[in-house]
Amino acid sequence: MPVAREIIEPKNEKLNVSRSFNLPHSPGIRAGGLIFLSGMLSTDPQSGERSPGSMAHETRQTLANMRHLLESAGSSLERVVKLNVLLYDMLEFENMNAVFRQFFPIDPPARTVCGVQLSAGMKIEIECIALAGP
Amino acid sequence: MAAGYGWVQSTAIRAGEFLFVSGIVAVDPESGERQNGTLTSEAHRAFQNLKLVLEAAGSSLERLVQVRAMIYDRIEYDALNRVYRQYLPKGPPARTVWSVRIIDAFKVQLDAVALA
Repeated sequence: MPVAREIIEPKNEKLNVSRSFNLPHSPGIRAGGLIFLSGMLSTDPQSGERSPGSMAHETRQTLANMRHLLESAGSSLERVVKLNVLLYDMLEFENMNAVFRQFFPIDPPARTVCGVQLSAGMKIEIECIALAGP
Repeated sequence: MAAGYGWVQSTAIRAGEFLFVSGIVAVDPESGERQNGTLTSEAHRAFQNLKLVLEAAGSSLERLVQVRAMIYDRIEYDALNRVYRQYLPKGPPARTVWSVRIIDAFKVQLDAVALA
């Protein structure tokens, strides 16, 4: 009996970026007790447009959207086990890290950070794996 | 697929309900020869190789849950997406595109997690 594989989507449709921008990925997949999310950029939850700004702003908005998506699927930021964080410039590491501390004050998830090229002049992209369930 | 190059990695590991697949690049699955080419040609080869690996382990492209699609330059993002859609037309997995430097001047590398 194969394990089920289910697409998860944010309750706020404005945050369904793969649909709005017609991209070939799903916002997330639930499978085998885990949730796998696609890389998320800073997106305005009202307009659905990209929301560029400072590293602090983009990190805060992206993690807020990640929380929404995880909660839409019955999980939460507290259930994240691994994050991959992509930055446009490693010089901004501390600016990203300071915001992370606010979102993950105790027992933060495992995390890898690296500097890469990002789309559309955005400063940060974050993907994660979380435990499904509350 | 990577064994011939002496890379210290397994092609894939089954653990729990999942398969964790090492980064897949455009090598000939018979000869192991590198098939460097355009982003499009490499992406086709890499997807076909990923399909071989998954199916050899009893899984399939349809059972992918998360992919890190690595490309050598962000400018090829749309070229990647065009090939990507052909292999994952419906209910695609979660994905992040990483623009990074890839070994042996390859233009594409696919890192994947699938249901076993």
